[in-house]
This record gives sequence, C-alpha cells and structure tokens, in this order.
Amino acid sequence: MNGTWDRCVQLKEPLKTKPFLIIAGLAVLGLLLGAYRELMGLGYVTGLNDGYSWGLFKNWNVTTLTALGSGGYAVAVFAWIFNEKRFHPIMRTAVLTSLVGYGTGMLALGFDVGRPWNFVWLADPHTWNHYSVLWEVAVCMTSYFLLALDVENMPPFLEKMYRSGDPAKKEKAMKIFNFMQKTFPFGIALAFVLPSMHQSSLGQLMYLAGPRVHPLWQTPMLGLLYLLMAYILGFACVLLTLALSAFVWNLGWDKDIMQRLGQIMAWTTVVWLVVRYADLVYRGALGNIFTFDRFGIYFLVEELLILVPTLLLFSRANREAPGTLFRLTFLISIGGLMYRFTPTTLAFSPLGDYRYFPSTFEILMSVGFTALAVAVFLYAVKTFAILPASKGKIAAEEAMRPFDTL
Amino acid sequence: MDANRRDILKALMGGTVVAAAAMSVSPVAKAGDEGAVQPLPDALGLLYDATVCIGCRACMPACQNANGLKPDVGGSGGLYMQPDTLNAHTKNLIKLYTAADGHERSFMKQQCMHCVDAACVSGCPMTALHKGPHGVVGWDATLCIGCRYCQVACPFNIPKFEWDTINPKIVKCELCRHIVGKTVSQPACTQVCPTHAVIYGKRSDLLAEARRRIKAKPGFYFEDRVYGEFEGGGTQCLVLSHVDYSKLGLPKLGKESAAAQTRQVSDFVYRGFLTPVVVYGGIVAIVRNRWKEHLKHAEHEGGEAHGEEKRA
Repeated sequence: MNGTWDRCVQLKEPLKTKPFLIIAGLAVLGLLLGAYRELMGLGYVTGLNDGYSWGLFKNWNVTTLTALGSGGYAVAVFAWIFNEKRFHPIMRTAVLTSLVGYGTGMLALGFDVGRPWNFVWLADPHTWNHYSVLWEVAVCMTSYFLLALDVENMPPFLEKMYRSGDPAKKEKAMKIFNFMQKTFPFGIALAFVLPSMHQSSLGQLMYLAGPRVHPLWQTPMLGLLYLLMAYILGFACVLLTLALSAFVWNLGWDKDIMQRLGQIMAWTTVVWLVVRYADLVYRGALGNIFTFDRFGIYFLVEELLILVPTLLLFSRANREAPGTLFRLTFLISIGGLMYRFTPTTLAFSPLGDYRYFPSTFEILMSVGFTALAVAVFLYAVKTFAILPASKGKIAAEEAMRPFDTL
Repeated sequence: MDANRRDILKALMGGTVVAAAAMSVSPVAKAGDEGAVQPLPDALGLLYDATVCIGCRACMPACQNANGLKPDVGGSGGLYMQPDTLNAHTKNLIKLYTAADGHERSFMKQQCMHCVDAACVSGCPMTALHKGPHGVVGWDATLCIGCRYCQVACPFNIPKFEWDTINPKIVKCELCRHIVGKTVSQPACTQVCPTHAVIYGKRSDLLAEARRRIKAKPGFYFEDRVYGEFEGGGTQCLVLSHVDYSKLGLPKLGKESAAAQTRQVSDFVYRGFLTPVVVYGGIVAIVRNRWKEHLKHAEHEGGEAHGEEKRA
C-alpha cells in the first residue's frame, strides 16, 4: 500500500454508514444528557463532589484530549518554522483534527461550568485576573479556536464555495482567499503562540494545587512538560488519524511522511523524558517511584508506555512498517494521555474522605462529546478535500489551485 | 538521515531545554521574601484556641442563622443539625479529633482560613473571589462562572459548591462581612462562643495574644507555635492546639504560598507579556519568508498536477 501523498482528496463515499450512525447517535445522546444537566445541575448527572470538583469533563475532555487536538499546532510548527515541506499535504488533516478536538473540549467546558451566564464579563477587562492561569486558558483557548483554527480550516470550505458554480459565490470565495493569503503569516504565528501559551497553562493549572498533587507529578515544570506532551500527542493523533484513514479508505501509504512523523515524535519524547527525569532528580522526588504504592504504579505504567515504544521507534524498519508504526504510536499516546490526566485526578488528593468515579451519565456525555468530534471529522472528509492520497489510489474530487497552497 | 535527526534535536533542544533549565533554577533561586504578599496592617481574622473550646457547637447554628443557611440534617436522619463535613449548607464546623489510643483529644474549628495570599483568589479567573477590606476573602455571585478552580486550589479544601441546583453558588465563610460593621460588631461564631475559644480581631493583635498564651504555658501548645503565622504564606485565621496540627486536618505547608510560587513561574516565563510578543514577532518574520518561498514554488509548478482550470 505504498504511494506518495501529493494531493488532498474528498472521499466519494456515502456519509450515512453504520459506524457513522452509531457515532452520531452517541454524540446526540451526549448532547441530550448535556441538556438534562443544564436543567438539573451538575450533581444529578456527574460523580463530582467537593473534594474532586473537576472530573472527566475538565480533566479528560479539556486538559487531556486537547493535547490530542494539538496536531494542527505541532505539525504546522514543523511545516512552517522548521521548513519540513513534505508535511504540507497532511496539513488539512492536521488542522481538522485540531478543530474538532478543541471544539468538543470547549463544548465540555461549557457544560462543566456552573454559572456560564457570567462568561459575558470576560468582555470587561476590569474583571480579568491576569495571574489566574485558568483565565489565561479560557481567553487563549477561545482566541485560538476563533481566530486561528477557524481560519486554518477555511481553504477546503472556500474551495467548495468556488466550485459551487454560482459566479457570485466564486467571486466571494476568491476575495476571502486573497485576504487570507495576505494575512496568512500573522495567522500562523498566532496559531503557534496561542497553543504554546494555553497548552503549558493547562499543566500550570495544577501547580497552584501545591502539595495536593503527588510529588511525582507536582513541579514548577508542569507547564513545559504539558506543552511538550501536547506536541507528542499532537503528532500521535495526526499519525493515528492518517493511518486509520489510509487503512479504511485505501489512500495509499506515504512512507516518507509517516516515518518522519514517527521520528519527530520519538525525538520530542526523548526531550520530554530528559526534562521529566532531570526535574525528578533536581527535586529529589525520584525515590517515590520505588514505594510501589498506587502512585508508583501509575508512574511506572505511564513511563513504560512512553519509553519502550519510543526506543523501538528509533528503528527505521519499525517506522516504515505501517502496522508497527501504528501500534507503537498508539502505545505512546496512551502513556501520554495518562501523563496529562494523572496530576489532575489520579494523583490529586484533597483533604478528607472523598472519592470520585465518574457516573454513567458523565461517561456517556464525555464519550458523546468525543463522538461528536469523530462524527464532524467523518462528515468533513466526505464533504471537503482534506485527506491526503496518492495518485491513482482513489477516484475522488481533488483539492485545486489556488486553495491547496496552504 | 543523521542530518535529519540533528536538525530535529537542535530545534527541540534549542528552545525547550534552555527554557527548562532556566525555569527550574529560577523560581527556586528566587524563593525568598521577594514577591511574598504581606498581611494588611488592618487584616482581620479569628484566633481559635482548641484547648479552650468545650465543643458545645453553639457557633454552628449561629453561623447558619447569620448566613441564612439551611441546617444540614442528613447525618441525624432529619432530626437535628449534624453535618459531617463542611458542605454547601455548612460554612463552620466543630469536629473532635481522638487518637487511636483514646488519650489524645482536641476539638477543631473548620472554616475558611482567609489566607494572606489566597490560592482561591489567585486562581479565580473572574475575580469573583477577592480580597476585600481588611483582607477578608469574599465571593461575588455576579462574577463567578462556577469553574470550581477555587476548590482545586484551596490547600484547606474549604470552598464548597451547590451541586444540586442550576444556579449554584460557592459557599464558604466570609467572616460575616455582610453584617459586621452594619448590624453587628463581630461574626456570629465569636459572638456566641461561651468560653471565648474563638475570638475576632486584627490579625496582628490575635498573633500577639497567641504568642502570649504560648509564652505563659511553654511546652503546652504543639511545638510552641500558632498555626497560620507562616503556613502557606500566612493565614488571617489562626489556630492553637496541644495536638499535632496535621492531625486536625491542617496540612503542613511551606512558608511560601502556592499562589506566590505560581506567580513566580508565570512572571519568569511571560516577562510581563514580553515573551509572547517577541516570539510572535519572530515567527511572523520566519513564516513570511517561508510563505513567499512557498507561493513562488506553487506558481512555478502552476496547476501542473491538478486543478480545475487545468482539467477544463
């Protein structure tokens, strides 16, 4: 299944397949339960309590899953700043995974906050608390979603408008696109600075909790470690998405692009590991690993899931075998997701006798929000030219000039 | 191959590890009094002396009445008020600690400690939680978005949330700020305490009183110290007991508040927002060049491979 991905294609497949209907059903169920939560209050729907007041919605859907949604950011940094030209054909897929990932994260955040109507005060600078890391996350994530991600995802949409046959629409699409081309460098720079800020802030959030977070995770370096993990998981998500799409829709397999993604991810993981262990040694927290209490075990599982596949990824043969690359990346992303999730919940100990396990409704909502992301992704790749494909592999409508220059 | 590896490594190492090394050293190196918040000269608070408390719990219904809270009758099967923890109906709670051997006992009054440099205030994105007059930590319903970061941040696990309503509030002791100085001269709990186990006043006066008691009975109070003088950057509510404070649910905290530590890291990275601006400028410069290159390249190839015009 080799080939060179040199074009983006729109899949000519029926949208309403059985898997899509199941996924869309889960998404609808999640949203319906969300409406129920809005009518009843958080306590009826979730397992949250005064000790563990953040649960699946914030700690999983926002803090953890938006790291998977950092693909557009991570790949763009390498495509544009480190001039990794071969990544351009996969940029559309990367920014789409980011759009749907962040979108559902923000949706979960909306259902999680108790008094959402007071969000209007964000418009009044007098209420801003510049030192609040959560304020930074709220403002920065919203700006990224509205100012950068939306814009990055415009070209396939404009292309569709251009093709509609209506001359007025055609003209409008060109007008918007020309404006985009002029402002593009400013936008892409924003799409670099904003995620750097909020992805590190998501880690820094837990630093304020001080000794309530276990010393194997609590560190002033949380921000940097979370940011690096966002890169790793961003690469992983794009790689896994592309691999699954290639398997399912027979897009061919661009060995060059895929092994390079795996290689960069592995090197980033090495940097992450260096920072992680340097920090543990510097703080003298290393001894906590060998206590073999539940925290020590979480740590070992997390580190093995990250370390072992990373080492295996340094073999070029492993990176060039589609199945092996997929499995190793999958393991790293499980370990990475664990790292992002653990300080917020598993290694978080409030005073007093509190336990938290998400309720069934809570899990269904969380799954529903994730399903929504997948459903929108499926809709998008069958409606717009997004996924990369190699010549002759697939009969489909292709991306066209000038819209494919992004 | 090797050139590739070197490139990636250089790129990653360049930015992140330098920042990493600097970040890990700086906040620790700076950890002194620099950036620490000092208590206001007129800061108000409580002094609770567990050795004087008789556990009558008179302060609890007084608190409920003064704050219009429904009594929590869950623990008693609906017969009388018997909360087992602070909760959305309980801002003030007297608990009894008994050691496993039964000999060591102490009461403990749980309520907001009104930290000098409060984590909840520092973390609140909307300034709904704020340091009001006299350093009292108040909550403002018109600003709170219900994110509950205060609950995650508070080292004493004090702020509580109304989980069973669509208009939930954050519930915690606000030192009766809605009535003190208007209809009454002190909070409800100190007003009714029959033994003056809990007293109200200026933090500096309360601290002097605590020291006087410690001096009068050396070796009587735990480690001859008052909890809250330095813990977590200091609290405006102070506690005296003859029992190890950590057994009474008061965590061991360093002299520096988590809020100050978080600010130090933020200040170090952001440099008054200079860092993001400089990085943004640098990236615009790089990407502009790349973009020009990219467009030229695209023009050169000009619709050769695909495109509607070509096909038509």
